[in-house]
Amino acid sequence: MNERLVLVNKLQEVDKMTLWLEEIYEKAQVDEMKRFNITLSLEEVVVNVINYAYPDREAEFTLDAEYEPGGELKFVLKDCGVAFDPTAKEDPDITQSAEDRPIGGLGIFLVKELMSSVSYERVDGQNVLTIIV
Amino acid sequence: MKVDIKELDGNLVAELTGRLDTVSSAQCAEDLKALFDNATKNMVLDCKNLDYISSSGLRLFLSLRKASSAKKLGLTLTNLDEEVYNVFKITGFVNLFDIK
Repeated sequence: MNERLVLVNKLQEVDKMTLWLEEIYEKAQVDEMKRFNITLSLEEVVVNVINYAYPDREAEFTLDAEYEPGGELKFVLKDCGVAFDPTAKEDPDITQSAEDRPIGGLGIFLVKELMSSVSYERVDGQNVLTIIV
Repeated sequence: MKVDIKELDGNLVAELTGRLDTVSSAQCAEDLKALFDNATKNMVLDCKNLDYISSSGLRLFLSLRKASSAKKLGLTLTNLDEEVYNVFKITGFVNLFDIK
């Protein structure tokens, strides 16, 4: 099954995405832990697009889901904004003390840890991020 | 996101109810920062009704941890559910907090 969600670059859109995901979780029979991890991962990458892809204008971007009930789940996030490969970001040092640790920089790291695969391509002026759960 | 504050056994306990996503973490940060700025007691964040956290919530927790150690006050997290604890484990946050 395939579903598409169209979002605009406003933070309030995260709620819309969460509701859209809840419906997919029901149809795809996803367990609690996976639901949490997928919602978190997609929030991180979608918020990145909202905050950085279109610095000076309102624009739409899309999130596609491909799934089979009880089977593999795949999400593809596409935007036409500033070229940005989130997978190229260096992983944070998670052994530092609380005093030394910088605030932030954990979003994409969590996505890479929680999902089976995260891959980026720049295709025809689009950022295409594919996430396999 | 709802924050209920009470005193228990000489500690200040903030009970978090709801989700710490990008939008709610920003709102909750203001409430908790005010609480921490005025705190003179050790603090406990009770997470039994914290259903969800993303990296924005982790940022908030780390900034509270830094604020409490700057004031030499204790900060304890209690009742993290399995999914939230997993995120703390992956990010090394389990080593930064007193978790009960």
